[in-house]
Amino acid sequence: MSDGRRYFEDIAVGERRDCGGKLVTKDEIIAFATKFDPQPFHIDEEAAKTSIFGGLIASGWHTGSMVMRMMVDNFTTKVASVGSPGFDNLRWLKPVRPGDTLYVRSECMEKIESKSRPNLGIVKFKNETLNQKGEVVMTMTAIGLYLRRNPG
Amino acid sequence: MRYLDDFSPGQVFDLGTKTPTAEEIVEFAREFDPQPFHLDEAAGKKTHFGGLVASGWHTAGILMRLLVDAVLKDAASLGSPGVDEVRWLKPVRPGDVLRGRLECLAVEPSRSKPDRGIARFVYELANQSGECVFRMKGMGMFARKPREPR
Repeated sequence: MSDGRRYFEDIAVGERRDCGGKLVTKDEIIAFATKFDPQPFHIDEEAAKTSIFGGLIASGWHTGSMVMRMMVDNFTTKVASVGSPGFDNLRWLKPVRPGDTLYVRSECMEKIESKSRPNLGIVKFKNETLNQKGEVVMTMTAIGLYLRRNPG
Repeated sequence: MRYLDDFSPGQVFDLGTKTPTAEEIVEFAREFDPQPFHLDEAAGKKTHFGGLVASGWHTAGILMRLLVDAVLKDAASLGSPGVDEVRWLKPVRPGDVLRGRLECLAVEPSRSKPDRGIARFVYELANQSGECVFRMKGMGMFARKPREPR
């Protein structure tokens, strides 16, 4: 298959792919949290000041969703991916605040040929989200289902 | 106000329901997950999903909102360190009636910070057919109940 996309066989354990440059604004933080996570430290600047976070921070689900958008913009159309069953070990390590710029550093950790579906393979990536200071704010193990060029 | 001390293993909470519309699914996907099967019914029909389906991150957001409304808004919530074993088990489609369920697995007071601790939970969303569409394990951090002044 020569459709320009990268298949299961084309991904190498250890390979890195980086992307990002997403500026996070106060309005976006409040808009997301008003819909999906209306806790005071995500929607109310004044209340957030007296919280343990000392100011407004993004919902962790907002951070995850922004990472998803960066992955879609940079990688998803370039790979023969047919979705994801989920992810493991997501950790919100540092708060994401208005004015932060987010980057994603992704490394392929493991490839597994599917036993039940011979046209598919499972690829696991360690995804680290960093801010403009180089601090890791979120980590997760992403799981992708990829088509195989040569079904087993 | 619900504190860490008010959670106990085996406790189950009904988080109520949310029914995502096609407009909500498309609006979320335009901003965060613009893949064809999240943006357009006709494009979704051509994929293995057979129609428009919600972004998995949208589904997670729906669960989070139910959790806030049913439990966290009246709790001494201090955020969450993270979640584990997050699984999108079935597609979520417009009009699905999603019911949230929270089960407490463990309560662990912090050793280093005596004013707080972690509660471990399993979180689930089931659709109107009773199928579990989303499940994850995770943690919530909560303040401990203030001691009565002597």
